[in-house]
Amino acid sequence: MSGLKKLTSLISAAAISISVLAVNTSALETYDPYSYDRWGDPVASQAGYTAEKYVDGNTIGCGALNEPADLFISHDNLMYIADKGNNRIVITDLDFNFKREMKEFTYSDSMVTEVTVDADALSYMAEEEEPLAAGDYVLTYDKSTSKYNILTTAGADTKFDVEAKYVKINGTIAAAGGDRIAVTYDGAALTVTGKLTATLAKPTGVYVDQYTGYVYICDTENDRVIKCDTEGNIDRLFGKPTDALYDQALTYNPSKVLVDKAGNVYVVVKSQTKGAVMFNSQGDFLGFYGANRVEQTAEVLANAFWDLISTEKQRERSAKQTPVGFSNFDIDDDGFIFTVTDSQEVNTDLVKKLNPRGDNILDSLGATDMTFGDMPPTYYSIYSKNSSLNDIDLGPNGELNILDFQHGRIFQYDKECWLLFIVGGKGNQLGLFESAVAIESYDNHLYVLDSIKDNITIFTRTVFGEIVTNAANLYNDGLYEESLEPWQNVLKYDGNYRRAYIGIGNALYNKYEYEEAMEYFEISISRDRYNRAFEGYRDIWLKENYMKCIVVIVILVILSFVYKHFRKNGKIVYPWERKRRKRGV
Amino acid sequence: MLDLTRGQFVKHVVTHPFEGFEDLRWKKAGSMRIAIFIVFMLFFQQVAYSRLYGFQYYSDYDKVFNIVPYIFKSFIIFGTWVVANWAMCTLFDGEGTMKNIFINSAYALIPYIAGYLIGTVMSHFLIKDEYVFIQSIEIIGTCWTFVLLISGIKAVHQFSFGKTIALMLLTIVAMIAILFLLVLLLTLFQQVIIFILSIYTELSYRFRV
Repeated sequence: MSGLKKLTSLISAAAISISVLAVNTSALETYDPYSYDRWGDPVASQAGYTAEKYVDGNTIGCGALNEPADLFISHDNLMYIADKGNNRIVITDLDFNFKREMKEFTYSDSMVTEVTVDADALSYMAEEEEPLAAGDYVLTYDKSTSKYNILTTAGADTKFDVEAKYVKINGTIAAAGGDRIAVTYDGAALTVTGKLTATLAKPTGVYVDQYTGYVYICDTENDRVIKCDTEGNIDRLFGKPTDALYDQALTYNPSKVLVDKAGNVYVVVKSQTKGAVMFNSQGDFLGFYGANRVEQTAEVLANAFWDLISTEKQRERSAKQTPVGFSNFDIDDDGFIFTVTDSQEVNTDLVKKLNPRGDNILDSLGATDMTFGDMPPTYYSIYSKNSSLNDIDLGPNGELNILDFQHGRIFQYDKECWLLFIVGGKGNQLGLFESAVAIESYDNHLYVLDSIKDNITIFTRTVFGEIVTNAANLYNDGLYEESLEPWQNVLKYDGNYRRAYIGIGNALYNKYEYEEAMEYFEISISRDRYNRAFEGYRDIWLKENYMKCIVVIVILVILSFVYKHFRKNGKIVYPWERKRRKRGV
Repeated sequence: MLDLTRGQFVKHVVTHPFEGFEDLRWKKAGSMRIAIFIVFMLFFQQVAYSRLYGFQYYSDYDKVFNIVPYIFKSFIIFGTWVVANWAMCTLFDGEGTMKNIFINSAYALIPYIAGYLIGTVMSHFLIKDEYVFIQSIEIIGTCWTFVLLISGIKAVHQFSFGKTIALMLLTIVAMIAILFLLVLLLTLFQQVIIFILSIYTELSYRFRV
């Protein structure tokens, strides 16, 4: 018994060591790079990107980041980091040398014409036991108490708080938390002496318009999007729309923002399922843009049935089917907006490419049935969860870099939505993430922001990655024959790379080498391409063997006549017929 | 008249959908051996359909080959059909024996099997645009089998046409019931085996020296 045990343990140890050797395809990476085959099963692959280093606030030189939420690389190669916990925007260059930070914003004079404090409130101040002494103060709005505080400029301790309704800016009461203005009190009246300034409250999104250079910041907890120049001079605010189309019961906490060529501003609001809130450049609310569809489930069908037979009033009371709102987006140079939806429950419209009308044009690419992110596990596993895609970024060649928060992975697709690489994972080591929240790409680098580790990981494309990218670009430009050699190179690195077989097959097909093309298409299991190659192969074969075919057919016809003749005359009798006949059945 | 061998009768039955089975019954020329051969051909056809079909049309998940679904699609479905048909029709004064039902049903399957086998062969010569040729052969085979099956069941039990159709539908219901019970039985046996195994495991742990 013990001998057998020893033997089994020896065998299992050997098996483990062999499997360890087999699995570690890339010793450099902290995770096992993989890809998917035709059937959606994961297969080991080469790493397309390698984690080079990470930078945090201290290496940048701006002080530690605190729960950073967004990353943006502007057209002038500056990186904007929305440092949510520190209520600021940090700006660095691409080598992470600290440039400046945006913490305080100034309203332009045209925006704030007057600030008035009601006479009642002033007289109340004067009547207090300890009346407000004449001097310079700062008027600031406290959102949590809905009151204006009058602060001494020196120690900034609160002298008085005034009900919000007594303070008016431009004749209206509204103001955002953190807005401050310098005032002077002469014992009877308050006069404004400085400019109204604003600060951020938990900014979660930042965008720089490459055409005008304006910076757009989602000032999330202040319910507004700030449009300002790079110096922080506010040009316009995009607040909660007052239009009837916008359900006023819903909150307006903008989380992501982008701007198209025409200057229209698109804002992702988490509470909105109708799509992005859309403003024109003047700040007018235009409507909603690019809503997701409702996933067709059995429940939705059942509700559609009940709606058919229920009355108007019953219908009003029944729960509405709402789609999951998309959570992040990016815009390419042609003006197409790509959205991702961060949901583990639905599979509809997880990744969309929207035209200016708001239609998903991935439909026409035939990609709606494509799975983005991790494939759903074929077999039951307690470890596997669906991806939750929370950021998308468009690379220089139209690659889609999609971030999966759930698994901490980056999925890179080319512009035809073919999977290129899967990078990253969950964990503490370099190249793995605790909470990956934002991704940006520049040249051959990927930058991933982690909101728990408070750092940015920099990935650089590997040699393998370069070859694949090069081949895919040639292929997508229609240069199939030129892509033949790069694809063959890819196979030298990774024989599991399905895309390479298709690429080689297409190149051979274009060279009229149908038989070889069929072979590659069969390996890559792409039936439609195989069908085309087979058609070509058959045509050539028929042309070459035309005469032979005719001869064979003629011989067959003659033989069949001969056979029939002999059968009829009883010259051909099959053995089983002979036997039965003797028995006389 | 009709001085045919058992082998020749197969051809006669298949090519004469309306009186073929009556002749077969009259001459008692059904062969169990041929019928069993046909059922094996059905099994082979099912395997060929999913494994040997032209690559441009269709190919199955090829990493594993599980034979159980094919056994189910051929032997088990056919066997259940025979048993269920016998059980139902005997109740309704059908004259067929289990053997005759088996033979007639198997003979009726010939066009279906042939159609799909021919389709499988053709799929290696035709491209996707020409699929309609394969499809029409397969459809014709299936329809033919359907007609033969009605005719065969009608002849073996000496039913009227309406009664045949009604009993065939009832047979399908009975098949579902039988298969359901089989699955139930299998699951229960599994439970029993697991129970016995766990007792064995428990005992083997306790009495370890």
